Amino acid sequence: MALAVDDSNFDDVVVKSDKPVMVDFWAEWCGPCRMIAPIIEEISKEFSERALVVKCDVDNSPGVAAKFGIRNIPTVLYFKDGKVADKQVGAVPKNNFVSKLNALF
Amino acid sequence: MTVCVFASSSSRINSEYAMAAAEMGALLAIAGIDVVYGGGGIGLMGKLADSVLKNNGRITGVIPAFMKEEGWDHPEVKEMIITPDMGERKKQMFTLADAVVALPGGVGTLEELTEAITLKQLGLFNGSIVILNTLDFYKSLIEFLDHMIQGHFLRFEHKGIWQIASTPSEAMNYLTSNETWIHDPRSIAKI
Repeated sequence: MALAVDDSNFDDVVVKSDKPVMVDFWAEWCGPCRMIAPIIEEISKEFSERALVVKCDVDNSPGVAAKFGIRNIPTVLYFKDGKVADKQVGAVPKNNFVSKLNALF
Repeated sequence: MTVCVFASSSSRINSEYAMAAAEMGALLAIAGIDVVYGGGGIGLMGKLADSVLKNNGRITGVIPAFMKEEGWDHPEVKEMIITPDMGERKKQMFTLADAVVALPGGVGTLEELTEAITLKQLGLFNGSIVILNTLDFYKSLIEFLDHMIQGHFLRFEHKGIWQIASTPSEAMNYLTSNETWIHDPRSIAKI
């Protein structure tokens, strides 16, 4: 299961990570988020050595959501060296998520 | 899911607008999203409908009786709802829509887009409103909306009502996601 992050640990887990990080912003009430959840899990397993894949529930993390201007979910933010390197909004095919992650290595 | 598209009926415009309209239609059809639009056969409405049909998508036109009598309706769109007047037409479109996308257009498109924004501000419509800003067509409108916010004619929070897409692909990203905008618009409807 992809690790959950929130306002309390986002900095330590995501910003300070030495590997690229994929953050899946989601919420319980969001249908499209549920649609891509299995894809995110698959990617988490497939890239387990090289990248960190985490999930952030926007309802529990208002600080992080506001800080990164999350207006639509699902939004996946790609972090490299503590900074946002790329972004994907919407329930798009797995390929879209994977190619953006591969671009960070 | 059903997306309502507002668009120009003019055929005399830059072909890039037409290509974007066709791409929008194709992406919606391929994604299995039902399209509702003004029923027209020409201009960007025509291009959109042609593209949806070509890509085996589902499209419903909503057109007032007088336009049908003028022969302005798209001959290939089988599902056509005829309304008695323009007001009923908009009402129908908003009833059917889960989200709306405004392509470049004239005052007809503009008033449909701004009605969508108004309804969402009042909590009477809660779907995504996407402005497809091909060739930065809507630059002045976007600036005008910011001007309204600066003058406190709109709240800053209302900026979350609409989203601006540069490409049909970007518009699809907004349409295939939920907004985190606000769950109780009525509480901030008043300025």
